[in-house]
Amino acid sequence: MIRLDLSTPWGVTAALLPEILLTVAALLVLLVVSWRHSTAEDSRLAGWLSLLGVAVSAVGLGALWVQGVEAEGLAQMVALDPFRYAAAALALIAAAGTIMISIAYLERERMLAPEYYPLILLATAGMMFLAGAEDLIVLFLGLEVMSVAVYVLAGYNRASPFSAEAALKYFLIGAFASGFLLYGIALVYGATGTTNLSLIGAQLAGRLPPLMASLGLGLLVIGFGFKVAAVPFHMWAPDVYDGSPTPVTGFMATGVKAAAFAALVRVLLEAFPSAAPVWQPVVAGLAILSMVVGNLVALTQRSIKRMLAYSSIAHAGYLLVAVWPGSLSGAGAVLLYLLAYGLTTLASFGFVAVLGRGGERDLSNDDLAGMGATRPLVALGFSICMLSLLGFPGTFGFIGKWYIISATVAEGQYILPVVLVLTSVVSAGYYLPVIMAMYMKPAPAAARYESSRLSPAAAGAIAISVALIILLGVWPGGLLDVAAQSAATLTQTGRPLAGP
Amino acid sequence: MSHFLASIYYRDWILHVLVVLPLLGVVPVLLGDERSAKRTALIVTTLEFVLSVGLWWALDPSQPAMQMVSNTPWIPNWGISYRVGLDGISLVMVLLTTALMPLSVLASYRYITVRERGFYALMLTLLTGLVGVFLALDLFVFYIFFEVMLIPMYFIIGIWGGTNRLYAAIKFFIYTMAGSLLMLVAIVVMVWKIQASTGYLSFSYDHLLEHAGSLGHAAPWLFAAFAIAFAIKVPIFPFHTWLPDAHVEAPTAGSVLLAGVMLKIGTYGFLRFAVPFFPQVALSPTVSRLMVVLAVIGIIYGALVALVQPDIKKLVAYSSVSHLGFVMLGIWGGTLQSVQGALMVMISHGLSTGALFLLVGMLYERRHTRLIEDYGGIAKVVPVFSLVLTVVALSSIGLPGLNGFVGEFLVLLGSFGTYPVATVLATTGVIFAAAYLLWALQRLIFNRLDDAENEHLADLTPRELAVMVPLLVGIVWMGLYPAPILRRTAPAAERYLEAMAPRPQLPETARLGAVPAAPAAER
Repeated sequence: MIRLDLSTPWGVTAALLPEILLTVAALLVLLVVSWRHSTAEDSRLAGWLSLLGVAVSAVGLGALWVQGVEAEGLAQMVALDPFRYAAAALALIAAAGTIMISIAYLERERMLAPEYYPLILLATAGMMFLAGAEDLIVLFLGLEVMSVAVYVLAGYNRASPFSAEAALKYFLIGAFASGFLLYGIALVYGATGTTNLSLIGAQLAGRLPPLMASLGLGLLVIGFGFKVAAVPFHMWAPDVYDGSPTPVTGFMATGVKAAAFAALVRVLLEAFPSAAPVWQPVVAGLAILSMVVGNLVALTQRSIKRMLAYSSIAHAGYLLVAVWPGSLSGAGAVLLYLLAYGLTTLASFGFVAVLGRGGERDLSNDDLAGMGATRPLVALGFSICMLSLLGFPGTFGFIGKWYIISATVAEGQYILPVVLVLTSVVSAGYYLPVIMAMYMKPAPAAARYESSRLSPAAAGAIAISVALIILLGVWPGGLLDVAAQSAATLTQTGRPLAGP
Repeated sequence: MSHFLASIYYRDWILHVLVVLPLLGVVPVLLGDERSAKRTALIVTTLEFVLSVGLWWALDPSQPAMQMVSNTPWIPNWGISYRVGLDGISLVMVLLTTALMPLSVLASYRYITVRERGFYALMLTLLTGLVGVFLALDLFVFYIFFEVMLIPMYFIIGIWGGTNRLYAAIKFFIYTMAGSLLMLVAIVVMVWKIQASTGYLSFSYDHLLEHAGSLGHAAPWLFAAFAIAFAIKVPIFPFHTWLPDAHVEAPTAGSVLLAGVMLKIGTYGFLRFAVPFFPQVALSPTVSRLMVVLAVIGIIYGALVALVQPDIKKLVAYSSVSHLGFVMLGIWGGTLQSVQGALMVMISHGLSTGALFLLVGMLYERRHTRLIEDYGGIAKVVPVFSLVLTVVALSSIGLPGLNGFVGEFLVLLGSFGTYPVATVLATTGVIFAAAYLLWALQRLIFNRLDDAENEHLADLTPRELAVMVPLLVGIVWMGLYPAPILRRTAPAAERYLEAMAPRPQLPETARLGAVPAAPAAER
């Protein structure tokens, strides 16, 4: 085990190794594309280089994780614990999947501006800062780096007015959310005199927070509510998810959500464990609203992409259920579910990106009719994704939901899990018709979408995800341990450590 | 036989093989060509049946406890292990499953004409799920099998079903899933509560059963969750609406397995989990009265609705609601006779209703209509078919000497002491059953042959006879000499009654001749 002194430049550099590697990679790719940015080949080159950058960063991350690097004394600014490494790994997985799916997509949709890839890398670096922040200021900076890059990505399809609308909406709402967060941070600082999460936790330990801190906490939760698209702060999500280029939508639904949830968990568990009576009812309310509204509205959607957008709201609700207990096993459940949801959603949006052409916005169930016969592998993979999102046993999604239910029940809460399973039943009403269309309806005479072939990179990303969904669904043992152990390292100065 | 089985260490591997073999069979089915799929499936399912027959001798009927238990850690940190075992109840359910499966495959030979590989692969997957559900001794594993078998059945209905198949498939899926997810929460709550009181985290059936008494005021809620999940599966009266749709739209093999085996998972769940876990709730006056009333409503309502069905397949489907009502009555009857009777109804309903669906399917393959009024007088044209149909219908009615009688009689006899009024009402169900089946029989195969199209119906082919004869043998055997079955289920039934105790028992002399022969009488 290595201990790093974060007050020395060398210590900080080592602690931020993955982020630094990723940022350097982003700058290098940017340098390359400033000379080569016109042809499809250039775009592909940038894509593969970026993937290499992600891999290098992952190696750096792996080095930190395997060595079990910890902070000397109190962690300033950034955390050095497996929870951060796990969350950063989620961001890197989202980035790698998105890049692999994008390579052929950008070519097909004639979006040949390779700056796309550096933006993804920068957004990922922002996510890693956000998820690893031990200080509210770093958290805010990470959030902004991530968000600004994603605003641009959302509007990346310049030919599409919907894409522009998505970018503008996302930007305006994002600015609004940032405002809430900043006010929250200011109030918390005013109440406690510090922005370091552990120190806030120590300040507030053993008592209910004063009014100013409670207000700050409330504003923070609202800010995060916007970022993770929890009802009632979700209004932007369907249009933005719908209008953005599909791989970017997948990136938002997995990476952005993962980073925001990791940060939310860290803030609530490290800084405000003693304030649980204040935030738990709020989180429970958001969770129930998100599950109910997300699932019910998803039922009425015709377009698959929009359906997935609403379903991602519902999944934010499930994740909030895992946040609710404020326990370490709840944090573990968040991590595990983020991975399960992330893999599945990446693959699902990958399929949508492949199947739709020229604006997959109105790809509907009818367009999938007969796929079971015409493209058996695609149909099988997409069906597995739908079952995993539904949380069906044998898939990773089930393990995730089961962990959430376990973590909540362990804290003596029964209403949230019951709402969770009942709304999951509702979700069968929109996940199953997708499977139904593919296998049980005859192929139409003339397909409206000539569905394109899977490029090797996209096929690889999707195949790996689907294989993992099944494998981890059947043998989750090792991963459950990793999730539990990672979560167990959150430092809770505010209350005694509880076992997983 | 026992020596032979012992010499090949049968008890050590059989349960695992029964679960895994069908899944392995999926591979050659998918890799082979379309035409050989059915043969491969038939070979695999027959092999499965042959292997499972040894269980009949391998199970020691003098032991009430679970036998051949094996335990393989799966997710050790969460107290989950792959734990399987067998007792008398599981034994008969597994044998029923493995026996019906090759017959269903054989019956699908001509019925399924498109995407055969997919169909038979799903049938084999379904077999794994069904066998697994009856063997699982870990609630997590049970839940997984319980849910996973939905997928093959969903596809079997949705792809190869009738005109309204999409609606039926999704309704079937969502109904079942709604119940089972609540059960999932109940399982997790139970495990955590018991972990809190014993300090030991485990999903093992025996562990939970032993400590379920400590659940206190949570027990009614937990029982409700289990009961709803199983009540939908049975289905008990207000939850039955998915059944007619699913049974009617499913292809013949699907209907046979749905009615023959899958409905029994609900009653099996009551016998194995819901009641033994929470006897104080299940036997409280409110709950037991409610269940008995619903059972009787099911018996009479199912029979009355069956009476007016113009569609023969729907008639058979509704008759299931009625028969399963007897099972529920027997489970709550609380005497050895009634519980044994419930088990007998479960088996004989599997045989009779399975046979009825098969016969309906054969008729449908010939005329492509299931309306009773389209037939009439075909006994002259298809004498063998008519003979078989008559025997099966009589067994379903409960004619003494055939299988249906034994179970229903035991249920009525055993429940009379506990719930006299309900039992008398339930008896009318037997009369209604005679009414709807005999009337249908009359309109189908007797009356006048007035439709020219029916004049050239082909009689049963050798393949179809090969499907029906084993069922007829079972029907007659169970009717004439049910004692071997009763002897094997008796210890498990006793164990169930002990969980329900203290209950009034009929005096020793009132028991049926076959029952005192059981070793359980020593207790």
